[in-house]
Amino acid sequence: MSIKTNLERNGAAQAALLSCAIGLLTLALVNLGTDISETFKNSVHALGKLWMPGAQGIGPYSGKETFALLAWLATWVIFHRLWRGKELNHQTVLMVFLLSIALATTLLWPPVFNGIAHALKGG
Amino acid sequence: MSDNQDEKTTKSVILSILAVMLMIAIVVPLMTSAPTQLLGESDYRLRGAFHGLFAMIFMITSTIGLYQALRLWRGSAVDIAELEIGSVVNAAACFLTIIFGNWVYIPYRMQGGPRSHFLETAPEIHKIFFEFKEFMALFTLPLTVVAAYIICFYGAKLIPNRVLRATVALTLVLSFFYFVVAFGLGAAITKLKSV
Repeated sequence: MSIKTNLERNGAAQAALLSCAIGLLTLALVNLGTDISETFKNSVHALGKLWMPGAQGIGPYSGKETFALLAWLATWVIFHRLWRGKELNHQTVLMVFLLSIALATTLLWPPVFNGIAHALKGG
Repeated sequence: MSDNQDEKTTKSVILSILAVMLMIAIVVPLMTSAPTQLLGESDYRLRGAFHGLFAMIFMITSTIGLYQALRLWRGSAVDIAELEIGSVVNAAACFLTIIFGNWVYIPYRMQGGPRSHFLETAPEIHKIFFEFKEFMALFTLPLTVVAAYIICFYGAKLIPNRVLRATVALTLVLSFFYFVVAFGLGAAITKLKSV
């Protein structure tokens, strides 16, 4: 018996929303990681080169995009399966979404991630 | 019956005149000038042109999306079919802008390209503004896709659902915000040094 998604419930929408936030947070964290570690940076670039045309010219940005895309889409599939036909507290979902987006945006401001990377490297 | 025929005739005449005007607008410049010179002489002029073209289309659809967000937020009447088509076109324009942006990023990063120019003359232009722009632009894709998904998935069920309407409105507003940041920084940087 298949589970039919109940369109009266917001679970499917909440899954889409939170997976978006996770994808963008992943982008921010991976970018920070590449600033901290040269080895990680090379690994990220290698991931991008596995599939993206022109990844050599784009640099590690290709891998950062790849990580974000994978995190976004994978969590979307998982969350959708978990929450379709259900509904989480919408205020909680909204707060988590907005805070995640705000955090990702802040972490991607270069003086912020450069500063954090510099501090973590002990420089 | 006669009124209907008159209306149909008027519409046909108007459409025919507009079609002729469009043909003139395309053919006359092509025959009397060299509009391709407007693209410049760079080897990467087509990449840049398409990136700009899709960004312009995205600007239009994103602005329409902002207006629809306002209507959704207020609970005003909305046409679901229009929302479905518009949100999908919006997400597609966003996607194509990013694809061509990736492609034009290659010559940007090349030795002798804008990046090396900025690093030598004004490092903050690349290290802060461009690096921020390249990530902010990516925020628009999942946001526009989420908006289109919710609209298309829920369809008419979206209209009475206050929470979902607000959610779609929020994603459309956020995607517009991140678009403006990326577009503004991109335009400013391109004005300083293009590929």
